[in-house]
Order: sequence, then C-alpha cells, then structure tokens
Amino acid sequence: MKAFLGTIVAGLLLALPLSAQAGNVTVKGSDTMVILGQRWAEEFMKKTPGTKVQVTGGGSGVGLAALQNGTTEIAMSSREMKDAEKTKLRTRYNTTGVEIPVAKDGVTFYVSESNPVNALTVEQLRGIYVGDITNWKQVGGPDAPIIIYSRENSSGTYVFVKDHVLDGEDYVASAQTLPGTAAVVNAVSKEKNSIGYGGAAYAKGIKELKIKKGNEEVAPSAENIKTGKYPLSRDLYFYLRNKPSGEAKTFIDFALSPEGQAVVTKVGYFPVK
Amino acid sequence: MRRLANAVLVLALSPTLALAQQSSPPAEEATPQAPTSDAPAADSPAPATTSEADAAPADADIDERMTIAEGKVAALEEQNTETKNDLLSLKKLKISGYVQGRYQYQQSLDDSGAGGFSKFSVRRGRLKTTYTTDWAQMMLQIDAVPAAPGVTVRDAEATLFIPGTQQQLSLTLGQMKWPFGYEAVQSSSDREMPERTRVIRAFLPDERDRGIKFAGNFLEGKVNVSVGLFDGDGIFNQGYIGSDNDKEKDFIGRAGFDLGWLSGGVSGWHGYSIAKAPSDTYRKAHTRDRLGLDAQVYLDVLPFGATSIKGEYIVGKGYWKSSGDVKVEQLGVPASGWYGLIVQNVGLTNAVAVRYDWFDPEHGKKNAAVDGRPASSNTVGTLGVSLLHYFGENLKVTAAYEMPMTAAPSGAQEPHDNLFTLQMQARY
Repeated sequence: MKAFLGTIVAGLLLALPLSAQAGNVTVKGSDTMVILGQRWAEEFMKKTPGTKVQVTGGGSGVGLAALQNGTTEIAMSSREMKDAEKTKLRTRYNTTGVEIPVAKDGVTFYVSESNPVNALTVEQLRGIYVGDITNWKQVGGPDAPIIIYSRENSSGTYVFVKDHVLDGEDYVASAQTLPGTAAVVNAVSKEKNSIGYGGAAYAKGIKELKIKKGNEEVAPSAENIKTGKYPLSRDLYFYLRNKPSGEAKTFIDFALSPEGQAVVTKVGYFPVK
Repeated sequence: MRRLANAVLVLALSPTLALAQQSSPPAEEATPQAPTSDAPAADSPAPATTSEADAAPADADIDERMTIAEGKVAALEEQNTETKNDLLSLKKLKISGYVQGRYQYQQSLDDSGAGGFSKFSVRRGRLKTTYTTDWAQMMLQIDAVPAAPGVTVRDAEATLFIPGTQQQLSLTLGQMKWPFGYEAVQSSSDREMPERTRVIRAFLPDERDRGIKFAGNFLEGKVNVSVGLFDGDGIFNQGYIGSDNDKEKDFIGRAGFDLGWLSGGVSGWHGYSIAKAPSDTYRKAHTRDRLGLDAQVYLDVLPFGATSIKGEYIVGKGYWKSSGDVKVEQLGVPASGWYGLIVQNVGLTNAVAVRYDWFDPEHGKKNAAVDGRPASSNTVGTLGVSLLHYFGENLKVTAAYEMPMTAAPSGAQEPHDNLFTLQMQARY
C-alpha cells in the first residue's frame, strides 16, 4: 500500500508545471488595452533583451478566464473582476488575486461629425442603448433613426457601459456588435445617424460626446478623466493570481515607471502616477 | 466553334455547372483592367453564391469595385447580426458537468480480515443545465451513477432575480442546497478532499431539500444573506423521500461576510420533526436545531503558491445517520463537530491539503465500548491528506489518505479503517 501511495505521489510531483518558463511573460485580455500592452512589451523587450512578453487580446472576460485556467500570467482588464471570477480564483488557486491599476481611461460615446448633437445625459444614453429612445429628434438631433453600435459581451467596455450607463439592463436587440473599438469608430465615421462607444485612445475622426450633468457639459478630456470629473472614467487593470514575481514583476514595474506611464500617454490613455 | 459545341455539351449534361459558369466570367475575360487591383480577378475564384457582385464586369472602375466590396461587407454584416441574434438565446444556456471515477482501498476492520474493500466506482456523474436571463434563472442538475440510487435529481431551482437589483437579490423555489455553512454549499467538484467531513454529512446529508430561499448581496458583496423555509427532511431521508413528514417547516439561514482575504458566516437552523422515536408512545415534535460558525482565510505569503485555511463548527440536535443507502434521523439527539483544513498550492497545477475533522455523535456523552470495540456513539477524529494535480482546466487527479480515529476506551480496539482514494475528475 505504501509503495502504491508512493508511486502516486511521485507521479504527481513529476507532473509539476513548467508553465512559468524563465524569460517569458504572457499577457492576455482587454482589447481596449491590447495596443497599450503591446507598446509596453516592445519597450520592455528593448530594455531587457532575452525576455519575451507575449500580448494578446480577446476581451477582459477572456483574459480573466485565462488567469483562472492558468494559461496567462497577467490578465488585462478594463473592468473590475466580478465576484464570480474572484470565487473561481479562490476555489482553484486559494487566492483572492492581485489587482494593479496601470492606466486610466474614459469610456467615450462617439457620433458622426455631421451630427448636431454634442452632449447627452447618462440617462439619455441609457435610453438609447436600452431602446427607449430610437430617434435623434428625441434628444435634440435630426429626425432620423438612431443606429446603435456596441461591443461583444466578452469586452470589458461592454460590461462597463452595461453596469455604469445601462444600470445592468440588457442592450437593445437592434444594437449591432462589433469586434473592437477601432471597428466601432470606423462604423460611426461612416454612418451619420449612428452612435458607438469605446476608449478615448481610438476616438479619432469622429465626434466625442460630452456628458451633461445638470447645466454642465463635461468633455472626456485628459484632465476630467484623471480627476474623475468625467462620469464615465475608469481604471485599466492588470490582474494576477499571486503577488508578482520574476519577469512578470519586472514588466509590471516597468509599466508603472515614469517611462511606462509615458507610453500610456502616447497611446492616448491617462497615467495613474 | 468547337468551344461552343463543348459548352453546349456541358450545359446539356450539367445544369448546375452551367449555372455556375453563367455567373462567372470566362477566365480570359477576367484579366484585370484596373491597374490598382492587387490581385488579378483570374486568381480569385468566384464565390459559390450568386450575386450582383459576382456578375460585375471585370473592367469596372475603382469606385464601382469599392461599391461592390462594400455591398459584400454589408451583406456579411447582416448575416453576422442575424447569426448573433440566433445565438443570443444560446448564450443564456450553460451546460456543465463532471464525472468522478474512483479507486478506493480500505483496510480490514480487524485482524480477522473482516470488512475493508478494494473497489472501483463512479462516485458522481453530474449534468447541470442553467438558463439565465436578466430576471430569471432555471437550474436543473441530475446525478447519474451506476450504483443505487441511480439517476436522481439533485437540484431543480426556479429563481427570480428581483427587478432593479442587478441580480443581487433573488428568490428561489424548488429543490436546492440548504443555505447553511460553507462546506455543505461548496460544490463537490471544487473540494480538495474526496468527501465532506463527518459533521457535515451528519447534519446536512446530501446538502439539499425542497423549499423557498431568499438570497441577497449587500455593501458591494461584502455582506451576504441567505434564508429560507424548507421541509427539513432532506432528499434521501428514510421514509420521507420526496415529501414532508409533517406540516412543520424548518427555518434555515446564513449571514456571511466577505472581505476578500477573509470570509465567514454564522448559520442557524430551527425546526421540528414530528415523528415517533423508539422510546416514544406517540408521535411528538423533536427539536431539529443547529448553530454553525465558519471562516476561510486566504493568504499569499509563500513564494510557490497561495495558502487557504478553512474551519467550521456545528452544534445542534437531530442529525442523520447512514444506514445502508438511506439516512435515519436521530430524533432530538444532540451532536457537535468541527473541522480545520489547510490547502497549499504548489505552482500552478499542484496542491496539498491536510484536514482534520472531529464529530461527537452524542454530544458530551462518555465514550463506551461494546464487545471490545468502540460504541457507535463514540467520537471520531479523522486526519486526511490529499495531493491534487490539475491537468489543464478539465481534469483533476486526487490522491487522498484518510485515517479515522475512533475514541476507544480502555480495553477496546480501534477499528482499522484507513482509506485510500484515487480519484480522477473530468469536468467541462
């Protein structure tokens, strides 16, 4: 019996993981953050030859699922980890995970440059995205049906808008989902009666809506997002299973260094430090 | 002329091919005229579907080609939207399940060689479907195993998420887990040791009952409450399978907190079982009460993996004792027990768990001996060690060794009942 048990123990120990290969860091998740992650990786690999940082997108949900499944070291997420995801991490790894804010972003709503509407309240945005408001004339625009663009539900931005704008309600079924913020910007720039949303980093060639708060109209400017005055500001996160160590820690330290935070600004987001 | 004759022959023989050829320009006519085109039309076979785009002249100018390309993209987008709408309802449906296959070896109980076993079994074969919308959730879980009781319904829940609460408050009616303690509610697929502790199996056998439950999360999930009214008899209680034995309902609930690294709760159970104990002349109400305390700590201090420490204590009256395949209620009998569990992760795919659980089946009663053996009412402490290895996210292998230590008064021999379990759990 003892020999049998010994064999089992030996077998299990022999199968110890080799996933944390030296010099390799895997980063997966938020599409909003993927360009930022790649820029960080490029700069970091220039500074530390021999280290490979692999950055892939897929959405915040995908990244956090990969963290739970052990297939990535760092998950990029444009939203906070959900309770169910925390529970899975605790169940599988006996850990509560480590959350590191690495940049700030403002979720921006875009309309065509030809659209006379410049600002909307959060309630009006909710009305549009849940299907209560269907025509631009209901919010001071032209008499034209509103074409709604949204993101896929694996996207952290999708979840952020659902939680912070839609109050948890479902998107209207007619909202067309697109695979990335760049695709939303492209679609909005071509469809004059449309509305879409995404990170400020991609908001080029279209008009960014201001958010009405009482008599004030708050633009998604750097200052307003950094100070939190813009109501749809959010943090962008790295999530890890455990406290960072080795190459992953060096990479994160770089991302949070003045040099790394300068990359944040270059990409179009806002530094956390 | 010969080409024309061949074409006529082909058309006559194959109407399908003829249609395809009609919709595609001849290869030599498809030579690109537009100088900006990257790929010659001749290199791009015509799509199987027929459309205006396919019939476009090859010498169309760039604007026309762009219009055609945009039309194709728009058509694809439309198809994509339709497909997504069709798939939307499927996204609400989640199907999962797991199978636990086992080999077990138990020592012979005494020197005569009686008892003990060496056997293969399928401990659990679960199939679970959950359909969740904004306001409602349906969950059905069955267990299919080769041995008795065969295929059984484990969970059958209808849940209403109270509108306007973002699914933080819910009301569930059906057959579900008792909202009591930590280990009883934890999924068997997530546990580190093969079976629940003796105290949990005694007070909360099969963990389920029929009833109604309110569940709520407050203060951003830091506080959670689950309370409900249940029949109180469980799902495999002797004599009351599928029905209540009286009109008494049991009030069961847990108030918990969750600070991330530390969580825990207080659980309570109050009810009666109106039944006739062997010493009763008539049926009477026997108290069925429990009080439970549980706590879980998650630490990230060691360099090779996180550590969790979990513990639970339960004291109460009226528990169930297994008798063959059924559970017999020990009406009004006081009992208590506790356990402590340490789980240490080693890297990403290994873990070691050590658990000690203790159960006093007749709370406070002095241990006794019968015919040189410990009595069935004696306390039992069980030390268990488990090694776990995860092959990816779908397969977990557990090797566990458990050593029950039954309190044996002077002159009585403690039974040899150490148990080795090798389990492979596959899940999806």
